[in-house]
Amino acid sequence: MAREFATKGVEFVFLYTREAHPGENFPAHSSFEQKRAHARAFKAEFKVERPILVDDLTGTAHKLYGSVPNMTYLIGRGGRVLFRADWTDPPTIKYALNYVLDSRARRREGFRLAPFYAEFVGYRWNDPAKFQEGLVRAGQQAVDDFSRAMEKRVKQPLRPGRIELNE
Amino acid sequence: MADRTAVESYNYSVFVGSENFMDFRTLLPVGSSAPDFEAVLLETARPVKLSEYWKRNDVLIEFGSFT
Repeated sequence: MAREFATKGVEFVFLYTREAHPGENFPAHSSFEQKRAHARAFKAEFKVERPILVDDLTGTAHKLYGSVPNMTYLIGRGGRVLFRADWTDPPTIKYALNYVLDSRARRREGFRLAPFYAEFVGYRWNDPAKFQEGLVRAGQQAVDDFSRAMEKRVKQPLRPGRIELNE
Repeated sequence: MADRTAVESYNYSVFVGSENFMDFRTLLPVGSSAPDFEAVLLETARPVKLSEYWKRNDVLIEFGSFT
């Protein structure tokens, strides 16, 4: 997708944050060198071609954008937020990018288009087996911590900000 | 060297699922000016500003980690 949109003036970058699910193999960062090493391992494992930016050890950039573990922002040329999502879902990103690029193209064709504020609910692909694989890769501690957090959550109402649709 | 406490509180060692998805909603709504920051490019170890990207192109930025 990054290659497809590169020709249309969109640069894709990845910002490396704290470990969301620290485990024996990828523990919480205590030095910047360690964080860089994890980012290198991530790049190799997932064959990431996008430039990876490594945030500082206290998460300055991550905090500026909301601190959730796997969010995405589309920032337009000039620095305005055009799209953001609290979870990264490639089909949703593609949809948003095409919407922006198509709108600009229509403008160039002479349509009068005014920007406005809009929201919609995203539907992301959810693959629990793949997620579990990721936890195992991080280490047994990550698996155990996550299952403990899930047990606790069953007894609680939905966390603020998470969306549940009764449809 | 960053403050040890700040490093440890950001880099939690046990996942409990306390991320605040509600705060995310109001922090930077669409139309806002994106805050700039400097980070280190993994490939070259060179510091870059995010604004270097948005000055020349649109930028799609994903946040995340190995885990």
